[in-house]
Amino acid sequence: MTETVTVRVQRYRPEEDQEPWAQSFEVPYSEDLSILDALNQIKDQQDPTLSHRWSCRMAICGSCGVMINGEPRLACKTFLRDYRGKDALEVRALDNFPIERDLVSDISGFIDHLETVQPWLIRSDEQPVSAGAYRQTPEQMQRYAAFSQCINCGLCYAACPQFGRDPAFLGPAALTLAQRYNLDSRDEGASQRMNWLNAEAGVWSCTFVGYCSQVCPKDVDPAAAINQGKVASDINYAVNLFNILRGKDDA
Amino acid sequence: MRRSHEPIAWSLFGAGGMLLAFIGPGLVLATALLPWLAAHDPVATHAAVGALLAHPLGKLLVLACVVLPLFHTLHRIYHSLHDLHLRAPRRLMQLLCYGGATLLSGVTAWWLLLI
Amino acid sequence: MRKPYVQRQRADWWLRNPAYRRYMLREATALPLLFYTLLLMSGLYQFTRGEAAFLGWLELLRNPWLLALHGVALAAALFHAVTWIALVPKILVIDTDRLRVSPTVVKRLHQVGAVVCNVGLLLLVLLLVGGGR
Ligand code: SF4
Ligand code: FES
Repeated sequence: MTETVTVRVQRYRPEEDQEPWAQSFEVPYSEDLSILDALNQIKDQQDPTLSHRWSCRMAICGSCGVMINGEPRLACKTFLRDYRGKDALEVRALDNFPIERDLVSDISGFIDHLETVQPWLIRSDEQPVSAGAYRQTPEQMQRYAAFSQCINCGLCYAACPQFGRDPAFLGPAALTLAQRYNLDSRDEGASQRMNWLNAEAGVWSCTFVGYCSQVCPKDVDPAAAINQGKVASDINYAVNLFNILRGKDDA
Repeated sequence: MRRSHEPIAWSLFGAGGMLLAFIGPGLVLATALLPWLAAHDPVATHAAVGALLAHPLGKLLVLACVVLPLFHTLHRIYHSLHDLHLRAPRRLMQLLCYGGATLLSGVTAWWLLLI
Repeated sequence: MRKPYVQRQRADWWLRNPAYRRYMLREATALPLLFYTLLLMSGLYQFTRGEAAFLGWLELLRNPWLLALHGVALAAALFHAVTWIALVPKILVIDTDRLRVSPTVVKRLHQVGAVVCNVGLLLLVLLLVGGGR
């Protein structure tokens, strides 16, 4: 007889359910089975109505984020073997996001926040394509390299109690992306992004809980990025105050 | 987007946090032992504290050791009460925490000027 | 049909994850440190009222409740110092063309600085107040 593992999977079918509930499945155990493999096994062989997201199976596309025993994780980067001997293995939809169906979250609010910070190179005068790429030294790239590794999986949003409290908070990944472009030597759009960072829903909703950085599967360290953003916003505040005192308008 | 005024609170919080990390434990331990250290000659201790408080730099140091921790702790308490879902008007909480810290700082400065 | 289920944060969210409990503990260090600061203020106030009042305050510090406050405040100050300095290198980034200091070095410098300052302050008080013995 092959060893099996019980996986409690959260279900929510908007047509019939008022709220989510848990359904248990038995999955044959193997050393190299990921949680995503287990979910696919359930969907293919036991219950085709189960809904979950995935694509790359290798921690690149960022679509398979779920709560596993209460922690935000990528289902494809988490393995059954890590939960061997634990009394329960429970898979839920990501915290803090509306649940669309079963394990599928509605992440549109998160995507809007990403767009808000204008995550692209902003130039006062664009040089023509024929002029080639904007050049940058390896040292200059190193300053934002870690912050550019984000795969938009949303785990940090599920980890962030301030986003859970107020979905208007731009949140870890968006603020990290803002910082990533503000640190980019080729970019000239910092002053536009600062308008968003300076707001209550910008860097100032963050209380450095730090769990976002713990759960990030790409070691982006969003908590560091946000708090470096606070320093930038602090300086921006002081400069603005100075300008007001000199009779210039509020920026 | 409206600019937040949090930078003022955060700067004071940060300065207080740094101060508490660098001298907090030492200071707490010192005052805990103070009555025993001073037992053999309490009057001399009074004089030593007096010498510290007589000097403008001493006054400034003591002011910093009171004002910055006040803003540091009340800033954390303000945010923690929000985290705990305390149902109270935001403005009122700000008035109590930051207003309180400002008031207590003013009182401390006043006492130091009296000396 | 769309009918997204909105998950609302519960007031006890911070009890449900060890990382959140540790965060709340860190924030809670503010409480004893606030009370301790108020105690310092009371000492200053008694000092303004004259020598007798200040000596009375010194005696008051022997009160077991105030000793307990000192104990809790000491634990809080230590926990604060450790957690605070752990975060410093994430915020204080020294990386310019002319000067680069690695985060580990930034952290080490702060750790050494904090130990030196705390021990130095304590020794200073021991010397100035207890030194006559
Ligand atoms: S910062 Fe990390 S956890 Fe957050 S979305 Fe990007 S990759 Fe995911
Ligand atoms: S399936 Fe792409 S990140 Fe997991």
